[in-house]
Amino acid sequence: MNGEFDRETSAPVDAALRAVGSATPEPGFEGRILTRLAQARAEGYAAPRAGSRLMRVAAPGLGFVCASLLCAVIVTGSVRFSHRNHPGSVAPPTIQMQGTGVGAASAVHPAAPASTPMPAGTKGRSARRTVQGRARIAPQARKAPGVAVPAPTANVPQN
Amino acid sequence: MSCFEGQLAGWIAPALPNAVTSETIAALVAEYSTALYRVAFSVTRNAAEAEDAVQETFLRVLKHESRLSEIRDYRVWLVRIVWNIVLDKKRRAKTRPESEDLADHARVLPSGDRLADDAIISSQEHGRILRLIDRLPRREREALLLSAVQELTTAEIAAALGTTESSIRSRIFRARRGLSVLLEKEGIAR
Repeated sequence: MNGEFDRETSAPVDAALRAVGSATPEPGFEGRILTRLAQARAEGYAAPRAGSRLMRVAAPGLGFVCASLLCAVIVTGSVRFSHRNHPGSVAPPTIQMQGTGVGAASAVHPAAPASTPMPAGTKGRSARRTVQGRARIAPQARKAPGVAVPAPTANVPQN
Repeated sequence: MSCFEGQLAGWIAPALPNAVTSETIAALVAEYSTALYRVAFSVTRNAAEAEDAVQETFLRVLKHESRLSEIRDYRVWLVRIVWNIVLDKKRRAKTRPESEDLADHARVLPSGDRLADDAIISSQEHGRILRLIDRLPRREREALLLSAVQELTTAEIAAALGTTESSIRSRIFRARRGLSVLLEKEGIAR
């Protein structure tokens, strides 16, 4: 099959299509159509009446008005519902900055946060056990060859 | 004219009375009924159903007669209506045409128009070929069937099916090629 249709296959196709495409209706066809149209017109099948025409013209505007009303009802209802759930709510305190340098966040708090003082005689968790500012090295610690290791001092506490 | 007034005029215009009368519809019937019958017959392949479809088409025209003045190409518009009607009927039937009326069709064909091929190939063979056309993909089948209607040009078929002329030509080509393959398989042409 190379896309070319040989005569043997195209001839019957053409004949069948020609037969379909040249079909002729029974005599009096137009008369029957006109009769049916006249009958339909008499039964009121024709164009829509003035009332339905008016509805067709007014339908977009009516839809717009309905949609607007619906939106207004939804907004009003939600606002009223919100006010009913928070009847005594007042506005947040007004922050007055008087050039004191206090930030807005601090101004609304009565006292600035302060750290808790450490009890006497205790050490903080972060205090290191060091001697003269030098880190204690475990005796069993081994360093790789070539790494300098400070000599242990005499007053290293043993624990 | 403001935007709102323009929209209002657009809404009101279709409702305004126009000068289209029943004589216009009668003229449409006289000019296009045979072509519409052929379009319908290409799908239904039944004279009575095709005639019903054409009558239904003009009933719809009557229903929308206030819009007739807006139609630019009556032939394409009417073909589109009858095409939708017959396809809708066919979809409802859910089956291929059960009562192909080829014998009746052969009877109403004017004998003087018969060519040598028509004389050789019987109406049964026509029926078999048309059933093979029914097995083609929808778009190709529709283009091929509408191309069979004598009164329709490629441009009008394209307008009725909502596509381009080149697309229609391509569909017809593919349809004929596919049909040729089917015919060889069926051995109808041999």
